[in-house]
Amino acid sequence: MVISNRISRLMESSSWIRAMFEEGEKLKRAYGADAIFDFTLGNPIAEPPQELKRELCELVGKGTVGMHRYMSNSGYEEVREQVAAFHRENSRLPFTKDHIIMTVGSAGGINVVMKALLDPGDEVLVLSPFFVEFMFYIDNHGGVVKLVETTNDFHLDLDAIEKAVTHRTKAIIVNSPNNPTGGVYHEEELKGLASLLSRKRQEGYPVYIVSDEAYRKILYDGISLPDAFNLYDETISVFSHSKDLGLAGERIGYIAISPRIAETKPLVDAMIFANRILGFINAPALMQRLVGSFQKNSVDVAGYQQKRDAIYDILVESGFEVVRPGGTFYIFPKSPMEDDVQFVKILQQHRILAVPGVGFGRSGYFRIAYCTEMDVIERSREAFLEVGRLFK
Amino acid sequence: MILSNKIRKLVMEQEGWTRKMFEAGIQMKKDYGAENVYDFSLGNPDIEPPPTLRSRLVDSLANPVPGMHRYMPNNGYEKVREEVAAYLTERCGLPFTALHVFMTVGCAGGINILFKAMLNRGDEVIVPSPFFWEFKNYVENFGAIPKIVDTKEDFQLDIGNIEAAVTNRTKAILVNSPNNPTGVVYAEESLKELADLLFAQRRKGREIYIVADEAYRKLVYTKAPLPDLFALYDLVITVTSHSKDLALPGERIGYVAISPRITQAPLLVSGLMIAIRALGFVNAPALFQRVVAEFQRTSVSIDDYRHRRDFLYDTITEAGFECVKPTGAFYMFPKSPMDDEVDFVFRMQQEERILVVPGRGFGKEGYFRIAYCVPMETIMKARPGFLRAGKRYAGR
Repeated sequence: MVISNRISRLMESSSWIRAMFEEGEKLKRAYGADAIFDFTLGNPIAEPPQELKRELCELVGKGTVGMHRYMSNSGYEEVREQVAAFHRENSRLPFTKDHIIMTVGSAGGINVVMKALLDPGDEVLVLSPFFVEFMFYIDNHGGVVKLVETTNDFHLDLDAIEKAVTHRTKAIIVNSPNNPTGGVYHEEELKGLASLLSRKRQEGYPVYIVSDEAYRKILYDGISLPDAFNLYDETISVFSHSKDLGLAGERIGYIAISPRIAETKPLVDAMIFANRILGFINAPALMQRLVGSFQKNSVDVAGYQQKRDAIYDILVESGFEVVRPGGTFYIFPKSPMEDDVQFVKILQQHRILAVPGVGFGRSGYFRIAYCTEMDVIERSREAFLEVGRLFK
Repeated sequence: MILSNKIRKLVMEQEGWTRKMFEAGIQMKKDYGAENVYDFSLGNPDIEPPPTLRSRLVDSLANPVPGMHRYMPNNGYEKVREEVAAYLTERCGLPFTALHVFMTVGCAGGINILFKAMLNRGDEVIVPSPFFWEFKNYVENFGAIPKIVDTKEDFQLDIGNIEAAVTNRTKAILVNSPNNPTGVVYAEESLKELADLLFAQRRKGREIYIVADEAYRKLVYTKAPLPDLFALYDLVITVTSHSKDLALPGERIGYVAISPRITQAPLLVSGLMIAIRALGFVNAPALFQRVVAEFQRTSVSIDDYRHRRDFLYDTITEAGFECVKPTGAFYMFPKSPMDDEVDFVFRMQQEERILVVPGRGFGKEGYFRIAYCVPMETIMKARPGFLRAGKRYAGR
């Protein structure tokens, strides 16, 4: 057989996603794509900021000699310095270019972090519901995923986390703003997590926080994200410019290692090395140059907020139980029936495509990705109301 | 300890002589000025992408299409894959379709997702030596085992050695031609013999794939093109990069091509779709996918490289070094005149300010690698140093 057993198992376990996807495609063919409300994909439609597009044109127009060549595996020094300056300002901690590694998106970044940290059998705590790919990222390097449920409103359950820590626990992934819930953890609960982990560290259980901040700039209602580096010393954050700068397809992100980590140098060296041997080599050159000076920019978040408001109102009006998201472009309502896969099929019958919660480790819910045109959301209202009426 | 044991071991290994050499090189450039140090240690081509490609890039950004920076299917844009497939069909005469082409984050990314999709723990991959050291890491990333097999004196495949290395766990043989570090192109004859060997193994129930790293495919100095593996054997998967032929190494763009003769191609593609996601590549960079699609038949000028090769080869042989004349890539792999080539490489550094890489970095002690993807001027200025070193150590 051409493919490995492991990959074959992964394919089987995700076969229902494919089946759903194919059903969706069938519906699009039958009714026309315009008549289908596709909320399955986190493929943000927001275009990069105008000034970024202009800068890209300029960069390429200038055509500096050597601009497409290899650079150091960690990325261009001047770009890393720009990113470090952003974090210095944000966190008031002494970040330098040596704390920054440019990566092939945050997915690439997390793989690099896991490759550097994990020995086979090491455990990583993942807060559920969660982005399923985390399981791959941990399993790739022989690590073991330990799922920890969050509370009913998707916030941290510190007791559950404490119970899950063992001598093999190497890290906990914190993903806030969260995919799939859209939730943003409060400073208070993160402080609680930090003091829990500090205590555990003293008891001989050293655990790193790996903070996936891919959605850090997609925040609503004027809330701000607590700075992870100031809450806990052993923090490694991974960022992506897929969402904030609308560059998902270009695969550009970075790892920031807290200057407060005791052994920064060997850790950074190992990550640079992992970046190489996993085959990333370096983050795409042109995009590195581009994003360096756009650390403070973002796509139109107000536009996403309007969409959040619109979809939230529609869901509430239709009678769904749902937590109002503080960020990202996901919303994670409760399924009105226990079997979320069955419910998603019912949604399909009403031309709505969504992903069942089981795909994120929590059955009984479903995820809507509203990074679509506003028009799609507005037109879906009738369909949601229809489905809602079925369960009144 | 913060690091995993495995990574620590790997980092320590390279902390050894490579690190020391690298740092000595940097110090030397500081002390003498970069222009007075002749750095032949890196395969980082100094060539620029073809002007037509650059203007295509400018055009595509001047006329942006909405959504051009978004995610696309994990295997890449269908239109791009179709164009690549059309090129492959034209080149090999086999019915390649968009399905058989999988866009990747360079060649290194391509090999990694391929191994992730194909290899079980404990599976073996035969790697002819000397070889690009990273291959070992790529195989070991997935718990598989690299079986390093020596090539002949002239660095051509030694079919006997390969046959002896085949076991029930052999999943693939990784063929890299034109070769890094030797610059050798594997002869069609030996590839045919390899195919015969693998067909014979098939009859014993062993299904062995050829995975071909063709990063240097277009950099061939002979009249005859690179032998076409797809024609010689059925279970062939090639991995190509546009780092060298289009001089875009920093942009990380390449592709995997699966032979249409592999009946399980759709299954492999599904596996690769998972692997590219799981490993965090997700997809090849969007902008450069679009750009390279139209440049499948283009290449940077190989005349420049040929010119450098000729000048350097003449210098090396005149200096008295023993060296197989390379017919591809931009590497040369002469024999070290001293048994301990690391010592020799250090002396070249200290005495002649010439930076080269010891052969053990490619699994072959007693040799050293010269990467001549540097300006002609550097080669000319380094010539007296090579000649002096030859006189001193190679007895001329």
